[in-house]
Amino acid sequence: VAEIHPLGNGVFRIADGTRSRIAYAAGRSDARWVFLEGRVYVIEAAQGSGSRAKRTHEHTALAAPMPATVVAIEVETGRAVSRGDVLIVLEAMKMELPIKAPRDGVVRAIACRPGELVQPGVPLVELE
Amino acid sequence: MFQRILIANRGEIAVRVIRACREMGIESAAVYSDADARAPHVLQADHAVRIGPAAATESYLSIEAILRAARDLRVEAVHPGYGFLSENADFARACERTGVVFIGPTAEALDRMGSKISARRVAEQAAVPMVPGATPDDQSDGSVAAAARRLGFPVLVKPSEGGGGIGMKVVRDERSLPAAVAQARREAMGAFGDGTLYVERLIERPRHVEIQIFADDHGRVVHLFERECSVQRRHQKVIEETPSVALTPALRERMGAAAVAVARAAAYRNAGTVEFLLDGVGDEARFYFLEMNTRLQVEHPVTEQVTGVDLVMAQIAVAAGAPLPWEQHQLSQRGHAIEVRIYAEDPARDHLPQAGPLLLYREPSMPGIRVDSGVAEGGEVSVHYDPMLAKLIATAETRDAARRRAVAALERYPILGLRTNVPFLVAILTHPRFVAGDVDTRFLDTEGDALRADLDANPPAEAMLVAQALDGSPVASRSNAIDPWSSLRGWRG
Repeated sequence: VAEIHPLGNGVFRIADGTRSRIAYAAGRSDARWVFLEGRVYVIEAAQGSGSRAKRTHEHTALAAPMPATVVAIEVETGRAVSRGDVLIVLEAMKMELPIKAPRDGVVRAIACRPGELVQPGVPLVELE
Repeated sequence: MFQRILIANRGEIAVRVIRACREMGIESAAVYSDADARAPHVLQADHAVRIGPAAATESYLSIEAILRAARDLRVEAVHPGYGFLSENADFARACERTGVVFIGPTAEALDRMGSKISARRVAEQAAVPMVPGATPDDQSDGSVAAAARRLGFPVLVKPSEGGGGIGMKVVRDERSLPAAVAQARREAMGAFGDGTLYVERLIERPRHVEIQIFADDHGRVVHLFERECSVQRRHQKVIEETPSVALTPALRERMGAAAVAVARAAAYRNAGTVEFLLDGVGDEARFYFLEMNTRLQVEHPVTEQVTGVDLVMAQIAVAAGAPLPWEQHQLSQRGHAIEVRIYAEDPARDHLPQAGPLLLYREPSMPGIRVDSGVAEGGEVSVHYDPMLAKLIATAETRDAARRRAVAALERYPILGLRTNVPFLVAILTHPRFVAGDVDTRFLDTEGDALRADLDANPPAEAMLVAQALDGSPVASRSNAIDPWSSLRGWRG
């Protein structure tokens, strides 16, 4: 039986018999961050049904992971693409970030322009 | 000596220079963009002035904005740190015209060593060997391909202007050449405003070993031994150490002499680093000149730790016209130092850079541990700049002791609110090949998947209990904790 003693300021003591460890935690209930023995765990709330999760996955895969600049668009509307093909190349924090096709499909629309600063969460390409 | 120095940089290196100024009794002046108004370098400096919006091109990379700040604050010298304008000859010249001392090499030396083509010419003059390579004259795809064929695959295609691995591509066969050339050109244009490419024969399994040199205005040039930086990911250094296990005293002396010869041939001044590729280990190993970094290096602390010198203070003194504080025979290495770079990135998601709040950030404090950082708890890591948060340097009598010390410190270094590479660093430091010193520049490519395999573990019950305790709900036992969490999913470690 482990007991958790809050020591304040995000510090917690985990007491289990004579064994004692220190953990750190921060965040809110939607995403709580815990540091324990060199590892970081993010404990998030549930996000809904499987089908929604799948759609969300594609949505995420085709969006910028962070604010970034579009440096190249490698496809055009109507082009058939295979899973893993590079569709868009972004740049952020001195790094190029390729946006790859999460599955085989046909490009239905492209929602960005070269040089544009794009925000995370918004799909940059639509696949049929 | 100078009365006041402006630091044309941000993050940990700006803080590092401010500390040196304080110890020397010099006033420090920080500059900042809108994204950094409350950053540690701003809070720690004696003076601070805003120079522009978050975009680096309009702030830390703006020669005009920096020099305006230098005039307004009436500084006598500018320390450029690394990155940004540190290797920009136009900036060095502009400083000179403004009557401000640029703490670094002359603009001519920056020009000479900044381009790979002319740097190789200098190394040639110094009779230092080089990996075979060429800059195709007309830079057409055909000429680049012809150069690659002549040198023999695999080749390395990289920007002629540049560094930090930006735009560098390994090409193993002719088929993959066009895509690599296009990407390298684009990255070269984006990062350096010049798409000229250089093609070089690739040496398989090389080590990256560099020599710290230092020169003054009075004709003295010394080297401060090596740093081994073979643990790299996409040509971005991750772990650096000194001494290198691959060097013997004789090889060290040869490489040191070669680095000094390059510095002399370049008419170099101030701190610099001569990078070599090392093929093999020990007395029989061959080394090749790679490039010269005409600035203070990110990894300079490991050299400071084993030699006991302060490179930043020496930079300032030499820029003020003082002779070098040491002669070659006074310099020696003692013990072992390992530096790990802490990046805001997610190793489990292809090391994607991370931005976000530092909800909790506590640096470890223990004997033999030095942390050079530019962030603080409550701060925000923005998308605008390099994702490096801090460097942790462990120093001990032996390599293994330094390695263990680094692991122990990283396990007491909580950073919450955004993902970092800390667990990845621990995985490297405890990997049998790293433990044995058996690394080359492809180490992270070949072992990366194994190193990341363990990073996605589910949180142990104790971590869940702590998370629950954070929310204020009463928690007493393990069985108590598991039930409420059965409806939750999606956590990753």
